[in-house]
Amino acid sequence: MDRSINFRGIAGSAGNIMQGMGKFVFGNEGLESKEDSYVERYLDRISNGTISDDRRSAMTELQSLVAESRSAQMSFGAMGFPILLNVLKEDREDVELVRGALETFVSALTPIETSQGPKTEVQPASVNSDLLSRETENISLLLSLLSEEDFYVRYYTIQLLTALLTNSLKRCPEAILLIPRGITVLMDMLMDREVIRNEALLLLTYLTRDAEEIQKIVVFEGVFEKIFSIIREEGYSDGGVVVQDCLELLNNLIRHNASNQMLLKETMGFDPLMSILKIRRGSAFNFTQQKTVNLLGALNTVELLLMGGPSSESGKDANKNANQASLAQKNILDHLLLLGVESQWAPVALRCMALRCIGNLVLRNPQNLDSLARKQVGEEPHIQPALNAILSIILRTSIAQEFVAADYVLQIQLETPTPSLGRTEPLLHRIVTCLSIAASADGENDQNSHPEESYIQPVILRLLIVWLVDCSNAVNCLLESAVHLNYIIELASSKRYTACVRGLAAVVLGACVLYNASREKGRDAFAVADAISQKIGLTTYFLRFDDLRKSLAHSSSEQQHRKELSRSSANSMSDFQEIEEDETKKDDQHPVLSEIFDSQFVNFLSKLEADIRENIMDIFSRTKTATAVLPAELEQKNGEVELVPANSVESTFEEVLFLENILEDLVRTGGGTTADMSQKPSSGRERVQIEALRQELEGAKRQIEGGSVPYPDVEAIKAQAKEEAEKDSEAELNDLLVCLGQEQTKVEKLSARLAELGEDVDTLLQGIGDETAIPDGDDEDEDDE
Amino acid sequence: MSYAYLFKYIIIGDTGVGKSCLLLQFTDKRFRSDHDLTIGVEFGARMITIDNKPIKLQIWDTAGQESFRSITRSYYRGAAGALLVYDITRRETFNHLASWLEDARQHANANMTVMLIGNKCDLSHRRAVSYEEGEQFAKEHGLVFMEASAKTAQNVEEAFIKTAGTIYKKIQDGIFDLSNESNGIKPGYTVHNSSGGGAGSSSQAGGCCS
Repeated sequence: MDRSINFRGIAGSAGNIMQGMGKFVFGNEGLESKEDSYVERYLDRISNGTISDDRRSAMTELQSLVAESRSAQMSFGAMGFPILLNVLKEDREDVELVRGALETFVSALTPIETSQGPKTEVQPASVNSDLLSRETENISLLLSLLSEEDFYVRYYTIQLLTALLTNSLKRCPEAILLIPRGITVLMDMLMDREVIRNEALLLLTYLTRDAEEIQKIVVFEGVFEKIFSIIREEGYSDGGVVVQDCLELLNNLIRHNASNQMLLKETMGFDPLMSILKIRRGSAFNFTQQKTVNLLGALNTVELLLMGGPSSESGKDANKNANQASLAQKNILDHLLLLGVESQWAPVALRCMALRCIGNLVLRNPQNLDSLARKQVGEEPHIQPALNAILSIILRTSIAQEFVAADYVLQIQLETPTPSLGRTEPLLHRIVTCLSIAASADGENDQNSHPEESYIQPVILRLLIVWLVDCSNAVNCLLESAVHLNYIIELASSKRYTACVRGLAAVVLGACVLYNASREKGRDAFAVADAISQKIGLTTYFLRFDDLRKSLAHSSSEQQHRKELSRSSANSMSDFQEIEEDETKKDDQHPVLSEIFDSQFVNFLSKLEADIRENIMDIFSRTKTATAVLPAELEQKNGEVELVPANSVESTFEEVLFLENILEDLVRTGGGTTADMSQKPSSGRERVQIEALRQELEGAKRQIEGGSVPYPDVEAIKAQAKEEAEKDSEAELNDLLVCLGQEQTKVEKLSARLAELGEDVDTLLQGIGDETAIPDGDDEDEDDE
Repeated sequence: MSYAYLFKYIIIGDTGVGKSCLLLQFTDKRFRSDHDLTIGVEFGARMITIDNKPIKLQIWDTAGQESFRSITRSYYRGAAGALLVYDITRRETFNHLASWLEDARQHANANMTVMLIGNKCDLSHRRAVSYEEGEQFAKEHGLVFMEASAKTAQNVEEAFIKTAGTIYKKIQDGIFDLSNESNGIKPGYTVHNSSGGGAGSSSQAGGCCS
């Protein structure tokens, strides 16, 4: 009794506020007071009436009024709560009246959208929610209604609870937690009829979003079993939105919750999860949007499991590792590869997420890394190593997201020190060879274009850096041949290469010093440092780092601006040339570069760079006393590396195969210019046009050459071109002129630069247009430098 | 991971009596003297064998602090067994047993098996509650009693296993309605996957989810 008086007081005062607000918001005195009086009259009939039928009909009318108008919602909030709560308490046997009361509450808590009025105004629905959830007793009353026999009573009650949760997310869960067995009652709803079960799923999803304690209680009550049994009934990933809801609830329960993750693993195991992820090979046709969403939900589950508990708790790493092992045991890799690598018809988001999961599955897990290296994908007769397929994704995709996701996997695979690799097969040597091929292939491309074009060299250099860091065996392997050191020194010093290439080569050299554990004369840290200082000079050498940083900063600032372009053209050299011709900016980098040299890698580089500087300075400050000086921590690191068990011969072989394939691909891309890549044009028509223009241009150049003009007479070129172009349309003519203008700029710039370098510009220009002679000319070039 | 039955346990008692250490000793065979205060509840699991049958124990270790009482009460109903723990070196933890028991009686299943444990029996030189007193209290309230040490592992296995034995016996006696999960007991997984197909004993077959 005391309580209800108290409550009336609160409700009353809140009502006054709302009435005031109502006047302010609607301003329509007449309408408002009319609805006010209706609500009041209905409430009076409900609370004081003696004839059941009349009370029921008053309730029905009240409900429809509240469902329609905001001001009725407001006046009901001001006056009606105590009366209807009393109905719920005292009139339980009158099922129809109870149903009506609940339905009225639901209406009072459901926002009504009006076209008129300012958007910022307070929704009466949310004020009513606050009012209702203020008392734990009310929530408790509602929970008790969930055990009523009448279906509609349970149904409206759960709707009401959901509305409460949506509107006042904080207070309601707290209230439910305070009620003994509160969660238990809600859990029982999962076993109810389908309609109620589905509502209960949503309700639990709201409840478990942030409240860790509720997450645990729900799990204690056996929600995992229920979730998976619903998912099974609904047909796993082929199921409807209910499967999606189940997975959302599941993900809420295990997100950063180590305890629940362990329970899931210990009691259900991951088999049910695998059943959701399982898809039939080539089942392209039944890939509905819902199925995609369901699979994304399940992949999210995998991702959360692979993340483990909250990152702050170091002890929970054990949990993450256990999940990695346990998921791998269930052959999750097969499912993920099918989704991420083999299902080219699957939506991109799905493929990317599967790739990310693969990455997280092998992250810091030698065993899983091993099995990924050993996996094959595809069907007979097109079987290939999984890693090879992932590399192909990197090389061929035109979608930035996918590139990044696939790169993530490969990076982890390569960053892991595999000491046996260096010893058994001089793979590093091949990479260096590949690097030199890429370099000369670049030169072959087109003498008129800048060396900036290529991304092959930076990519290979990045591979080398990643490989060498923290792996003294790899460093040792690289230095086995003196040619390698000389070549990389050349890369770092020659002006022929871009600032980026020179800088990266300098980092490679630095890594050879920093991670050098060799005591062999001529191959130790000092020998490398000495070679640097003799052949490059320390000042110039350190300058390379600054230049590199500038060039990377440039590329990352370009990133935003070029996003559009990189998406459509990340994989094609010819596309890139197109861009070259569109933009005359000299320092333009290939879009792939800005993807590869992301901020993470740039940070990694700058840290490495600092270490290198320090290390080299250190070495030189001690040269007088020691031949090879190794910091203590390096010794230690080396020891650690040795402790890593050597990979099995088989897996090593696989990795070798895989890396060989990378190299082949790289060589092909580097040397083959457009031949290979142009098979997959992303914007075919433009390319054809550009190509046609290019040919015309070349023709024009050849004619000029015939006249043996020392410097290209641009006016003459234009005139020539004009003659030819007049046959074509006006538009093409304009394009051609633009191209010629750009060509002219290039020629001018190059001439100036070559003159700077002391080149004989005249001799050089004689070679232009003589296409068959280019390789020879290029070789001479190399010798000159 | 197939099992004949799954039992849910809770561990209750005042803060600092060693509930989490008992669980850690039982599941991981480890002891940590610097164990953090439990927030809310923590979970542990282990497989044991009773009467040659594999039994899975799911154990919820609750926070002893008063502020978590409303949360921990949510775990009472669904538990088949409870370890009620006090610290033999701290008299007040023994004195609070009655209130814990009352809480359990109020919120738990009537058939819940309660095991009374006097923990830290390795510290007998600092003993504040005699063995006999513990035994007497257990007798009065119909509990099973044992003194144990999470540090030396003495009687830890026994406490958990003996509780399971009591529950198992109650099942044999037909006290539980096993179709009702709220008593904290679940029969082993039956094969609900069509690929299973075997008609043999479900607990042995394991099915896809065990």
